Amino acid sequence: MELSLNHRKEGDRTVLEVGGEVDVYTAPKLREKLVELVGDGHYQIVVDMTKVEFLDSTGLGVLVGGLKRVRSHDGTLSLVCNQERILKIFRITGLTKVFPIHDSLDEALQDSE
Amino acid sequence: MGDVELRIPPDVRYVGLARLVVMVAARQAGMVPDRVEDLKIAVSEATTNAVNAHRRADEQRPVVLSFGATAAGQFAVTIADAGPGFDPAPPEAHDRRDWSLENGLGVTLIRGLADDVEFRHHAGMVVHMRFAVDIDDRNAALDA
Repeated sequence: MELSLNHRKEGDRTVLEVGGEVDVYTAPKLREKLVELVGDGHYQIVVDMTKVEFLDSTGLGVLVGGLKRVRSHDGTLSLVCNQERILKIFRITGLTKVFPIHDSLDEALQDSE
Repeated sequence: MGDVELRIPPDVRYVGLARLVVMVAARQAGMVPDRVEDLKIAVSEATTNAVNAHRRADEQRPVVLSFGATAAGQFAVTIADAGPGFDPAPPEAHDRRDWSLENGLGVTLIRGLADDVEFRHHAGMVVHMRFAVDIDDRNAALDA
């Protein structure tokens, strides 16, 4: 399944909806999108991963890269993820301590961080 | 059951195909869905490393995956490349990890998801992983 990327503004946040498979083949598209968003001044980003079918370490690396980019502008990058199979890889790699991870988009948008 | 062998060109577009084929073989071997998810990620990580090793070394030969159920009731996957090889980082504590690094998470995931993994140098790099087919068998093995 191909990667899908769609973004929209929700108040002062930018929600990036990611769907499909994020691996070594598709991750460069996600990286380009995050670079483009930060370049356009979007520094408060919520990555909604609810529709992600597959994510491996290449995708994790791109998200870490995105986090570093927004932080260099005093921004934030949080995640929405409610799938156990994906949460598991954040736990194994210890990235649950690096990203704010929310069960729902509403919860992420209410977070005042 | 004998191993099935899959040769893929050293191109990142084939990593998805490799994990799909191994996933179907694991399902046919009776692997429970949760374990299939673990297997998919571990296969993707090892195949990505192998393909990247070939690309960096300008190596045109294929990456070779062989896989199948074992007599011990496990599902084994071996991924061999002809690259220069690497020394996998030892398991590390999360609190000691350098988060400024965007790479290097793949080996951590392989170690975390496979029941058993060996990294060997043999005319390139060979990653041999084993997975319990049934989660109950895995728990029984851990309890023993």
